[in-house]
Amino acid sequence: MLHLKSKWLALLSGALLIAAPVIAQDSGPLIDILVKKGIVTDQEAEELRADLVKDFTNNSSAGKLNLSSSLVEFKMSGDIRMRYEYNDQGPELATGAAPLNNETSRQRFRLRFNTDVILQKGWTAGFALETGQSSDSANQTFTGAADDYGVFVARAYVGWQPNANWAFVLGKQKNPFYTTEMRWDADISPQGAYENYKAFFGAKDTFEIRAMQHAMQDNNEQVAGPTGRDTWMFEQQAVLTHWFGPENLHSAIVAVGYSAYNQSSLPSTATISPSNSPLNSAAFVGSVRAQDYGTFAGEVNWANLNGAGTAFKVYWDSSYNTTGGTRAYRVYGLNPTLFSKGATAWLTGLGYSYGTGKVQGDYSAKLDYRSVGVTSVDPNTNDSDWGLSKVNQKGWKLALAYNVTDFTNFNLTYFDTKIIQQGMTFALGNLDRSHELLVDLVVKF
Amino acid sequence: MKKVILILAALAAIATASAQKLVIKGSDTLGAKLVPTLAEEYKAKNPGVSFEIAAEGSTTGISAIIDGTAQIGMSSRRAKPTEISAAQAKGVSMKPIIVAFDGIAVIANAGNPVSSLTKRQVEQIFAGDIVDWSAVGGTPGAISIYTRNTSSGTYSDFKALATKNRDYASSSQKMAGNEQIVAEVAKNPSGIGYVGLAYMNEPGVKVMAIEGSTPTKESVLNKSYPYARPTFYYTNGEPTGEAKKFVDFTLSDEGKKIIEKIGFVAPPTK
Repeated sequence: MLHLKSKWLALLSGALLIAAPVIAQDSGPLIDILVKKGIVTDQEAEELRADLVKDFTNNSSAGKLNLSSSLVEFKMSGDIRMRYEYNDQGPELATGAAPLNNETSRQRFRLRFNTDVILQKGWTAGFALETGQSSDSANQTFTGAADDYGVFVARAYVGWQPNANWAFVLGKQKNPFYTTEMRWDADISPQGAYENYKAFFGAKDTFEIRAMQHAMQDNNEQVAGPTGRDTWMFEQQAVLTHWFGPENLHSAIVAVGYSAYNQSSLPSTATISPSNSPLNSAAFVGSVRAQDYGTFAGEVNWANLNGAGTAFKVYWDSSYNTTGGTRAYRVYGLNPTLFSKGATAWLTGLGYSYGTGKVQGDYSAKLDYRSVGVTSVDPNTNDSDWGLSKVNQKGWKLALAYNVTDFTNFNLTYFDTKIIQQGMTFALGNLDRSHELLVDLVVKF
Repeated sequence: MKKVILILAALAAIATASAQKLVIKGSDTLGAKLVPTLAEEYKAKNPGVSFEIAAEGSTTGISAIIDGTAQIGMSSRRAKPTEISAAQAKGVSMKPIIVAFDGIAVIANAGNPVSSLTKRQVEQIFAGDIVDWSAVGGTPGAISIYTRNTSSGTYSDFKALATKNRDYASSSQKMAGNEQIVAEVAKNPSGIGYVGLAYMNEPGVKVMAIEGSTPTKESVLNKSYPYARPTFYYTNGEPTGEAKKFVDFTLSDEGKKIIEKIGFVAPPTK
């Protein structure tokens, strides 16, 4: 309750209280000016401040939040995706065998909730929660009768950027590399230590060195020899971003990289032969042997090519495993001379968009073709949807997106893949064909 | 029967005496010198009244009003929205009463050749961006920063007024009260700290001009000194009983003389 002592104060109080939830915290300078001009006394001003805060705390939750003064920005965001998924696939069969179709139809959802904070002195921190424990998919299939589902920590990181040139991040974090889903599934949040050096030149051009030491598997150090060592992947990349054209609206990105493991658990050659294959060929079970990838990726974007807000782009990715023959032999038990071509993966695609995907009416279309040899990418990290995460596949991906509202997207994605080289017996490489349709409704908040 | 009446009368007298005990908690800025002096004068005029004064920081004073463990809470800062919200949840209505105005003086060792700083330099020094006196025209040497501890209203007021709420430098040393800061700065040639008006004219320290303005009665009242602030009593609603009498005494002409004598600026008479 206000105790009004003058006409001016009554008018001011009325005006401020009408909008108290909005302006209570910003009214300080206005009150200060009124005090300086002698319109209200200091005591009246203090009572007004207190009453405004009381009104503010009564009518808004913000007044009840006690946030650290070290915070520069506190951001909460997330999305919920409803998905219909259909796929059919068939394994490679012996000559003359009846075709085998495995069809799957699922109703799925994905919840992601992100909290990211910017602190003083260049520090950042954050975490993300999501459904789905698998690192390459946060999807949760609607299963038994009205089941409840778990939520998992998908990111937890601490960052420090001492200046514009250097940045460091520790923990489970957003993928910092320039890449496509051919090598890194978009759902994976790698974990480890990341370092970035960025140099600025020209109008907006940048050159970056990115490096990350990924903690891929925690092994038991009490086990003697290489199998007792923790498994690390080391990836580094040089990324050049160049802007060109009228008002520097067009851009080109070129990224050259190299990725390798410490090969902590590579067995001795004496135990390997084609007859005892496959050795540890499944993904996510320490499949780290003989993976040394040279990578080359990039894109060229032309903005406003077909009117304001439109963009056309060409993009590509590629990977070559310099120890592909060794991997084919020592991991999959294949004859390295027969599968030497399987060391290469490549992708090329075209994209067209209107808007940035954040405003009602924005849309985009992307079409790519890729060929992924049997030893050419890391099966721990490649796309979990295209070819159902298998290697030794070639085929298409078509992705369409439309903004129903500023915060709601309707997405349609279709994959079609076929086997490259026949005669492989292990599950990671013997998928004969696959088709997959994803229909998504995404609401962001 | 007479005995019973006598006992009841004695109990009534004790109850009356205990009702006249005034519990005041909170700010060291107010509670170290000013309020004890006011209390002594008040007691001289009202012999039946006793005081319990605890000066352990503004946060403790505001908490005491919320918890109902004091009749008056001393604070050198405004109550935070979260504190007002917490008070309302308990049915307590925080009532601010301006007791005096204060200027937070930036002090350095008396032997320091630097006599004035800009607001930007003060921010940079206390946030740790500037770590050597040579960066502000002084004798080369690492700057030793002394701040109040976190329960102090002056700690948060100065942070808001001088460093735009940036954290103090990690090397800063936190002191329990104004007098401790004065003592440390007086014996450390590289020291810098901040104290209330009542503590700035002590031997061994000098007051820095900020943007050419020094903390004086005039510069604090007309708010030309950048680190000027009101100080408060907080009560649960309008003060009543003995608390009201003490508040009235504080703001009387006699109380204002004491306020000025201690070194604060008394609120102007309307």
